[in-house]
Amino acid sequence: MANNHLTSESKQLATWYFTFAAILFGAQLLFGLVAAIQYVMPGFLYEILDFSIARILHINALVVWMVFAMFGSVYWLLPDETGIETIGIKIGKLIYWVFVAAIVVVVLVYLLVQVGPADATTIWFITEGREYIEAPRWADWGIVVVALTFVANLFLTGIKGKQTGIVTVLMADMIAFAGLYLAGMFFTDNISVDQYWWWWVIHLWVEATWEVFVGAIAAYGLITMIGAHRKVVEMWLWIEVAMLFGSGILGLGHHYFWIGTPEYWWEIGALFSALEPLPLVAMFVHVLYDWGKTQGGEEARGSSASVIKNKPAFTWFVLNAFGNFLGAGIWGFFHTLPQVNLYTHGSQFTSAHGHLAFFGAYATILIGMMYIAVQGTNGIKIMKHTKASIWGVSMVTGGVVGMTVALTIAGYVQVLVSRAQMGATWAAYFDGQSGSWFTQAMDWRLILGAVTFSGFLLLAKDLLTTGKSPVHER
Amino acid sequence: MIDPSVVRPEIALDDFLPIFVSSALVLVFGGIYVGIYTAVKVKLLKPWTMVIAYGFWMLTAYCLYLMGSLMHVGEFTAKALVVAAIGLFLLPFAVYYMQNQVHEENEH
Amino acid sequence: MANKSVWSDNRFWQRSATWVTGFASVLLIWLTFDTSVQIAMGNDEDLKNGVTKRVPGPTVINYKITYEMDAKRGHEVPVIGEKENFFGRDDWSEEEAGALLHLGKLGSQAKNCMDCHTLLGNGAYYAPDLTKAWLDPAWGPNGAMQALTAKETKEEAMAEFLQHPDRYPTHARMMPDLGITAKEAKGLVAFLKHMSSIDTNGFPRNFGHMQGAINGK
Repeated sequence: MANNHLTSESKQLATWYFTFAAILFGAQLLFGLVAAIQYVMPGFLYEILDFSIARILHINALVVWMVFAMFGSVYWLLPDETGIETIGIKIGKLIYWVFVAAIVVVVLVYLLVQVGPADATTIWFITEGREYIEAPRWADWGIVVVALTFVANLFLTGIKGKQTGIVTVLMADMIAFAGLYLAGMFFTDNISVDQYWWWWVIHLWVEATWEVFVGAIAAYGLITMIGAHRKVVEMWLWIEVAMLFGSGILGLGHHYFWIGTPEYWWEIGALFSALEPLPLVAMFVHVLYDWGKTQGGEEARGSSASVIKNKPAFTWFVLNAFGNFLGAGIWGFFHTLPQVNLYTHGSQFTSAHGHLAFFGAYATILIGMMYIAVQGTNGIKIMKHTKASIWGVSMVTGGVVGMTVALTIAGYVQVLVSRAQMGATWAAYFDGQSGSWFTQAMDWRLILGAVTFSGFLLLAKDLLTTGKSPVHER
Repeated sequence: MIDPSVVRPEIALDDFLPIFVSSALVLVFGGIYVGIYTAVKVKLLKPWTMVIAYGFWMLTAYCLYLMGSLMHVGEFTAKALVVAAIGLFLLPFAVYYMQNQVHEENEH
Repeated sequence: MANKSVWSDNRFWQRSATWVTGFASVLLIWLTFDTSVQIAMGNDEDLKNGVTKRVPGPTVINYKITYEMDAKRGHEVPVIGEKENFFGRDDWSEEEAGALLHLGKLGSQAKNCMDCHTLLGNGAYYAPDLTKAWLDPAWGPNGAMQALTAKETKEEAMAEFLQHPDRYPTHARMMPDLGITAKEAKGLVAFLKHMSSIDTNGFPRNFGHMQGAINGK
């Protein structure tokens, strides 16, 4: 890195992680656009880059960029929290390059080889063909090694340095996060068993360990950005952990309604799904409360200056509180009970929920962390919005929300026509896909996807250039 | 031909939209309730607006009831929904109480 | 200065979080043991003796499968009926059927089926759900697909389609040629037939019952 404001090697490594995460984020949106075009023009890139391949790249890039940004966030906050340089940072840096190289190879194989014969070599070297974790088995082992190194960095530093509440939560959370990946690394002929464990990875990542991670990052953000009181924030973090794990772990049940698993999962899934939104509501209130109190305290001291030390990052953090509630909460809740999920399971509703939840709960806060890194790298005291940052956040958010609405309408048509009226057959499926409401919804999804991508370009431009902008206070 | 015993879905066709809308509104109204409650407590809103907050909670409870009855939930799920409604009612009290407690201890 | 209350005690909440997480995890692990037993694959003996398994053994391909309303459970369940030919035989041994299913399951992953279709409702939404595809009337004697592929039986029509999907378009959105061999296609059809026999608690509801095909006939 050309900049000399970073004295910590851990923070330097964090910026590397953020940079590659942003590149993958762009790739995710690009392949998402390809897939969206294929809904509108089915012949587009037919037998060159088919929908399945575009979608693998879309969702794998999503998962991997988020993991990269999560690792980056931890390397960034570790020196601040523990007060020491990250232990084993040299190995951490080496592993970063291994990780990047492995991902480039995996992506190239997805693009150029695409599918293989029905034998174990395909599973080991081309694709595992299991949604979200398609990465071939060799890459799985690579990911395990990388994750272990990362966890070792975190643990050794946490034990030797100051072990704050945030670091403690992260340590527990990240070991669970890495360990759960193992549940997705075996082959079985029994598809019910396959999907049972597959959900352990997917659900227990995104609805449990990742959510707790977000709680920890939000705590760090509130302390660094608005000077919230550490004890308050950390106590709140523990409450959140209790609520999120308390509802999220058994919330797994809502994925076990229809995959061959026993009927008692209906009750378990329904009960814990009904509880899952509560921590999200609470998180939302918490951010506003803390902001109000800190700002209020400042004003009582006679200062009308904003307490926010990083406007763009704070904007993304607030969007996170909103987005988590909206995407994971509302969009998750309205099709989660088994009575209605019988009709909505595996429809565009799921896709609408997926788009808004991944964006609202994770993309937002990770982009916020990128802004915090830009601030730190450039030694900025108070970071302000630029034109590009405002347009970037508005277009990306507007685009994703718009896509979600379009997909929700498409999902409604699909549920009504293909499922409730026609009985879910091949013919029923295509009848549902051909209605004018469905096709128009897909047109809008593409348009708003393009808006999202344009917003991303502005966002990327801003992240690259805002550090040198004269608007900030140094 | 269509066999009448299997063709009738448990959920009537016309009920799908009200179900989706009411279940989305559960959390919208619930969020507004919690939001107004907190805003009143931190003195961003006048105290009388608390009535509106409770009004929104009642709307939440009604939406939960509507949603549950339209999708013909079983006994257990119905109980779970009642628990969720009560939980949502108590949530802002608990959150505010705890937040305030910690603030009092640390900043005075 | 307020008194120190337990509700604002960091350690109290740290312990609560640990206990809640531990309790939820233990409960999940316990349920996992129970579920694992219930979803373990059955075997040929079960099928011969009429023992109902949530996930039957691979030799289920020797039998006729229908999807019927169970009044007691209030939803449809797969029903395994009399013997039925599968690629000309109804005496596939446990090893042969198992090998076929193994090939099919591997094939379903190697060809990324889940990134266009849904299996048991999970996957992508660009193409039809395959959970009960075997029971889809479109592939039956009165359906369009046997005539389209010029095949006499459901399984042969499906296998032919899988090998040359681009020759038999059913919609502007066409399945691409994935280089599926004749052997792999056979495995995939066995995999689909086996999947249709899994008890999915009535998902998808009313499957195939709206097109004039009652009970899979």
